[in-house]
Amino acid sequence: MVQISLPQNSRVQKGKYYKDKTGSKNLRKVNIYRWDPSNGENPRIDTYEVDMDNCPSKVLDLLNKIKNEIDPSIAYRRSCAHGVCGSCAMNMDGKNGLACTKPHSEIKGDINIYPLPHLKVQKDLIGDLSTLYKQYASVEPWLKNSNTKREKENFQSKEDRAKLDGLYECIMCACCSTSCPSYWWNGEKYLGPAVLLQAYRWIIDSRDEERKERLKKVADELKLYRCHTIMNCTNACPKGLNPAKAIASIKKMLATS
Amino acid sequence: MQDKNPLSPHIQIYSWHISSLVSIGHRITGVINIIILSAVTFWIGALLMGENFYQSIFDFFNSFFGKFFIIGTIWSFTFHSLSELRHLIWDMGYGFELKTANLTGALVIIFSVILTVVVYLLGRMFFNV
Repeated sequence: MVQISLPQNSRVQKGKYYKDKTGSKNLRKVNIYRWDPSNGENPRIDTYEVDMDNCPSKVLDLLNKIKNEIDPSIAYRRSCAHGVCGSCAMNMDGKNGLACTKPHSEIKGDINIYPLPHLKVQKDLIGDLSTLYKQYASVEPWLKNSNTKREKENFQSKEDRAKLDGLYECIMCACCSTSCPSYWWNGEKYLGPAVLLQAYRWIIDSRDEERKERLKKVADELKLYRCHTIMNCTNACPKGLNPAKAIASIKKMLATS
Repeated sequence: MQDKNPLSPHIQIYSWHISSLVSIGHRITGVINIIILSAVTFWIGALLMGENFYQSIFDFFNSFFGKFFIIGTIWSFTFHSLSELRHLIWDMGYGFELKTANLTGALVIIFSVILTVVVYLLGRMFFNV
């Protein structure tokens, strides 16, 4: 249900302040959400003064610099550093995105970095996405086609293939789902933009034979219709995709079929 | 996941977009409109209770708070109607591109204010007050 305030154990406190030791004149303050699972304390915001003269352009570079040169205890996920894997999804300057593709020069004032919103935190910037993965599995994201004896490729017309553009590029970074207020309040039952975009990717695939069953499965007051077109998902997507439109397409298919 | 893990901050830190503002505005004005409709029914009902009873409502509408109430009511209805129009266009499958959605959201806010002024002035002309 809608709970505006954070639970008692999640209230954020003031943390440590790491003063600059390099003597640089070009400093920026970086506020980072920290939570240590080992000591039972509340989360805190640590502030780091970072020498921007020797820091590459992206927020991930900034985090790497802090981890390498100031505080090695900070934890975050990252892998490809090129906006392909979706590991470094986090909340920067109040907006979800990939740290590896977000330039810190786009952020004015102090740089605030939080984990993806409304997730159980495992450590520092690492949130628990297991609910989302279970929901992803529930839409059975694979091609269902009864013809197993085919000896040639399963052809698709150019037009049918074009329907998958803007859907197949999704990297499941969860920026959209965790930006959605509806998903915050009903995350257990509402599938959320990321999973619904994936569901639509299989519904619209001309080679899939179970379109009707797939549609029937998502046609649910809570699973689908908790989307109120708030559009935070489309605003957040670091790949420039449009989950809100995909969800509307599912709704339209259901209304017109 | 055990209960000891904290919940990461959400609405406290997430920045507002035009689209999310219009969305929450749509919901709030929807609730307000239902309450106002009940008040309007009471107002119409008061017509049946005689002149004295009606006079008190007339005095209320002429007070400062009453005028605020009327203008607020008009805004609430115009905002909700325009936003609903936007939703109907969405339901037909149009206007989901980020630029378009931001533009229509801004238009809803701007035109709700303009329409409020227009409807208020028209109402004053119509009732000669």
